[in-house]
Amino acid sequence: MELFLEGILNLIGFVVGLIIGTFSYIGYKNTGSPVLFRLTIAFFAIGIGFGIIWSAYIINELVFDTEKINRGIQALGLGIQTIGYFFIAFSHTIKSFFPKSRYFRSVGILPLFFLSAMNIEHIIRSFSFILLVYGSIETIVSYIEGRQKGALAVGVGLGLLAFGEFIAWYSLVFPESILYSISIVIKISGLLSLFIPVSKIPLRKIKFDDLDGE
Amino acid sequence: MVTYRTKIEIVGDILISAHEQTMEQDGASIMQLIRQANISHGRLSKILSDLVSQGLLEQVSSDRAYKYRISMVGKDFLSEYKKFNKFTSDFGLTI
Repeated sequence: MELFLEGILNLIGFVVGLIIGTFSYIGYKNTGSPVLFRLTIAFFAIGIGFGIIWSAYIINELVFDTEKINRGIQALGLGIQTIGYFFIAFSHTIKSFFPKSRYFRSVGILPLFFLSAMNIEHIIRSFSFILLVYGSIETIVSYIEGRQKGALAVGVGLGLLAFGEFIAWYSLVFPESILYSISIVIKISGLLSLFIPVSKIPLRKIKFDDLDGE
Repeated sequence: MVTYRTKIEIVGDILISAHEQTMEQDGASIMQLIRQANISHGRLSKILSDLVSQGLLEQVSSDRAYKYRISMVGKDFLSEYKKFNKFTSDFGLTI
């Protein structure tokens, strides 16, 4: 059951990431907006990250006939996804991510030494969680200011991805429970929610305009 | 709170203004663009020469001064600008 849901999650993440990434790229080519360029990198990274994990599962099942994938490949996929989440958060300008005081900066490095023995996958997941929460809060704040339904869908989508990540941590405490499956279902809902604004935009007139060449 | 417009937003405002004036009066004068796009004369002049050289606006001679009409390329750009402006605002961002 978990493996089946994991496959659906990674496939949806791959498809949604690539579609939004392609749409952002078309927007960047047609308008030259740096914000759209950052969104292009963000969503291509998210799509590729999910795609790597999905293809690792497929190859393992078809070629090696095992259910467990290599932890290194899993960490690579999650790391690339985190780069995507970073670019979404970066587009909102990360104002207070790093403390200004030297003392807090030095203390802030300490957990890295304590955590170094932990699985790198969980460290990456924790970064993703922070970035997703940041992106979600910023997007919901702009929904409150502008009342755009699309912004609410994106804010809720990022929030659901963060919440799914949080529930997945809890499943480490209760490994045999249904929590991990619930976390995957929440993440799938988050990805579908991210896709809502893009699905409403008419795709008829999209084209590449090389304005510099005119 | 003061909100600053990005360059592409200023270009969008100029094109929207030129588009409206092209429909109503066969082009927008410098003064109309300054008022409607809320921009200084110096900055507008530089952006206008860029937009004309890229073919987004057409400069036409009027009685006493130049007027600016939106071109077909400009209309296409404006429609894309509006579409992707909505898209970025759905992500809580400005284009």
